[in-house]
Amino acid sequence: MNRRYCQAVLATLLLLAVNQAAGELDRLNDQDLSEVSGQGGIYLSGDISINEMGGPIENSYFGRCDDPDKKCGARLAYRLKEGGGWMVLDEIKGDFAFEGLTLRVRSIDSGFGGDGEQFNGDVMEIGLPDTVRFNDVRFRIAGSNTFRPTDPGFQQTDIFAVEMQGEVIMEGNLLVFPTGNP
Amino acid sequence: MMCQSVGAMALVLSAPVLAEMQSLDDDDMAAISGQSGITLEMELGMTADRLSYLDDGNGIYLEDFRVGSASRSGESAAHVIKVDITEDASLNLDYLVEDRRIEFGDIRLAGAPGVGMGGVFFDHSLQGNLRISPGGAFGSSGYTFDTAYTMTGGRLGYRTNGNEVFLDDVTLSVEALGVTLDVVGSTLELNAPRISGSYDVGAIRYSSNPANHGNTYDVSTGQALPSYGGLSGTFDLSSKTGVTAGGREGEGFRVDNETTINSASFIYHDDNNALAFRDITGHYNLNDLRVDIAKDRFGRDALGLTLGSLDGEFNIGRIEMGAEGRSIGEVNVSFMLRDHSYNGRNYTNAIYVQGGGHPDAGPQGLRLSAEWSLQLADLSYTEDGNRVIFSGLQSWGQGDVTVNVTRDGELNGTRFYDGLRVGFEDVNAGYRINGLRVGSDDAPLQGGTELLLALGFYPAYEFEMDGQVTLGAGGASGEGLTINSDIRIRNGRAAIIAAPYDEGDGEISQKGLWISDLSYDAHVRDMTVDVTEEGLAIIKGEAWSMMDVGNLRIGDKDRGASFGRFVVQQYETGSSMTVVPGGAGDVCAGGSGATRADCTASGGIWETRGDEGITLRLKQIFARAVSDTRKNAFAWETNRQIDASGNPINNTGTWLLLNDIHTSDGGDFDGDGVDDNTFGIRTDLSVDVYQTKMVKKTDGPDALGVAGARGDEKIMDPAAAAGYRYVSSPTATDLESRPLGFAVRARSQFRELSINNIDLVHPTGGPQTAVYGVKMQNFDIEANLTATPIP
Repeated sequence: MNRRYCQAVLATLLLLAVNQAAGELDRLNDQDLSEVSGQGGIYLSGDISINEMGGPIENSYFGRCDDPDKKCGARLAYRLKEGGGWMVLDEIKGDFAFEGLTLRVRSIDSGFGGDGEQFNGDVMEIGLPDTVRFNDVRFRIAGSNTFRPTDPGFQQTDIFAVEMQGEVIMEGNLLVFPTGNP
Repeated sequence: MMCQSVGAMALVLSAPVLAEMQSLDDDDMAAISGQSGITLEMELGMTADRLSYLDDGNGIYLEDFRVGSASRSGESAAHVIKVDITEDASLNLDYLVEDRRIEFGDIRLAGAPGVGMGGVFFDHSLQGNLRISPGGAFGSSGYTFDTAYTMTGGRLGYRTNGNEVFLDDVTLSVEALGVTLDVVGSTLELNAPRISGSYDVGAIRYSSNPANHGNTYDVSTGQALPSYGGLSGTFDLSSKTGVTAGGREGEGFRVDNETTINSASFIYHDDNNALAFRDITGHYNLNDLRVDIAKDRFGRDALGLTLGSLDGEFNIGRIEMGAEGRSIGEVNVSFMLRDHSYNGRNYTNAIYVQGGGHPDAGPQGLRLSAEWSLQLADLSYTEDGNRVIFSGLQSWGQGDVTVNVTRDGELNGTRFYDGLRVGFEDVNAGYRINGLRVGSDDAPLQGGTELLLALGFYPAYEFEMDGQVTLGAGGASGEGLTINSDIRIRNGRAAIIAAPYDEGDGEISQKGLWISDLSYDAHVRDMTVDVTEEGLAIIKGEAWSMMDVGNLRIGDKDRGASFGRFVVQQYETGSSMTVVPGGAGDVCAGGSGATRADCTASGGIWETRGDEGITLRLKQIFARAVSDTRKNAFAWETNRQIDASGNPINNTGTWLLLNDIHTSDGGDFDGDGVDDNTFGIRTDLSVDVYQTKMVKKTDGPDALGVAGARGDEKIMDPAAAAGYRYVSSPTATDLESRPLGFAVRARSQFRELSINNIDLVHPTGGPQTAVYGVKMQNFDIEANLTATPIP
């Protein structure tokens, strides 16, 4: 897995999530941080797993991960047309771990090539964790005629599957700027 | 009888909480008991239409006063008093009182005709001794009291408009020796060096039938009246009280008190399950409490209680719940209530007690015109020896609180429910926390108060509130509480992330991420609260709410730039939460394995988080939409038009709407034609205070000037100037000094979670559906997270 590619993808997703705001990846050193106010915040580390042993449904389609005849991952389906088919992310499972994700409010009134002085306001700063470890993260993209795989006449066409393993280096900060007309 | 009353009054004044009794030893008993003298046997029945207290010409009236038998209406109560005067001129009284009721039908203020505060009744049988000796603590002109008594069959009730709540089957034992009463200067000083005892309340009952007045059993069904549960505990106090003539203005009186809680316990019982607060110690100083008949800020006549200051500290060594009596940990609170300025406005501490309650509930009830100023409080939580302090808590507010005992039904256009109703009218209030300290009181102030969000608290919140909470008797089964409430918040400003409001140089604008211009309507029906064998169980019958965040601001709560408007609607049926003592226990963080060896081999860190801590078991059942007000939805509005003042106008912008979000079991398994919805989103959340690994992210000095290299681990060190240092290769000893934070182990599962439609709404073009349904199935997400405050 191309680490820089993953970093860019994740940053893009985060930027899309905040849509109206402008995001910036900027690795500040601690000296820079000491010159801005609003230092208090939290430092988050941990690991998250999805359907490590299976989910809460046990039926003809879903089951435990040690049952080779059943799917043990999670499933997400959506459709963009009324009465149309469903786009599906199926068999979602895996786990990932991170260390050092920070969250705080930061005031910016200088730097950034002169833009900081002009902005002179507060932003959300998400300090990216240095390393995110992915372990056996996988999902499958498919098209389906019903959202539930147990519905009568269920048909599904798998398009492709994704597996992720390894580490992604994520350095710097994601700054979320409130701009535009609220 | 007179002396007995004086003695009883002295004890009440000296002990703001109920005192307990223990047996006098034989020497004391021999000295006290009436060995000779006279014996008085009385059948006492007494009534008075009105007892009046006048203060500067303003009156408060205790009406329909009666002393007589508790069980036989209209009859007298039996009294036997043995009186003896000893050689040292002490007066010894042995007394036995059987089946006595002391009652006021109503308490009224002269300046508030037509309304009253409600009635109070006190039933009891009493047996004890009282010795009154000449000479107090400051000379021969005072008195010394030694007493011990046991009260049985007690009831203490509050009654409004024919409905009542009362403590039933109360047993109280008290021993107080060496209590002195002196006049010092212009102050009547009562000193109780030790008051000890125990109490037991069999049940706290509710009745909506006037014919049940003072009865344990319903007169029509013969069944025991519903109960909130029972109480028991012990206490050992020392107390000093001064009473001085003169109110805040003119007549009235002043009370000062110092009390030390040497030891105490408080246990709530619910169907043989207990919620216990044990190993309680503490102290408080009440300074310059004035009692006047006065007018409140609106000119309404009231019994005014105005406070100079109240400061103190309480420590609860163990908070136990569940069948195994496990503890969630230790809690310590220090506080200072006194006049202070917040956001440029001064607040004081005062309660003006008036009659009437809610105007639609009937003529009887309480109205408390209140103002408070909690200038400073620190709240600490310690579990398994690890301590986190929420430092610099301030709270202020002003508004009316009403209290009525109500019955189910609509009255004068207002819906009431069975129980004790607490109403809020135009309450303008707020609170804020300055930051966190970990380990000790003098540790550096850090951020991280947003960790409270996990427990449902904002780190700072200002609001205007109206509404009511009615506490009904009886839980999901047997004893317990049933809650019906309606709360409306206006002009709210709550912090999701908050910086300090005072960095050492006085109050500053508190920076943060704020949900501002907030309107919040929340309604709960038939929510039950029970102590069970597992812990504290809360089951919501039906709950719906709308949170309208006018602006999500960053920076200043009023002037910070906005991300737009957010509206969150919730509608839940049958959701529940259980609070279970004990945290995560042994955890493999960042790896897998049930043993330390397996965990370490997988790359994880084996953590032994101890026996204490808190686990929350949540079940959230998001119901399908039944109306525009009862549904689950999320909306984000931006690009709103601006009014002449520059403020955005709601409903003029573009919306993103996630509509009718609901859970399901994934099919109609019971054949009723609709999908089952019993599983919901189930989340187990175990929270511990625990050491966490923090790694430096850049080379060079950090924000506090402490040098280190990228990848070095932060190790707490009281000898270091900043309280910590960075270590590249920490030793085993270093690892025992990792910084403290909150360790959360969470597991969340749901069978099916759906969004019916996602719409984009244009102000003139109207809604367009972008996504015709989102379905998420079979999710089981587990997380081990540590959250550590950083400076």
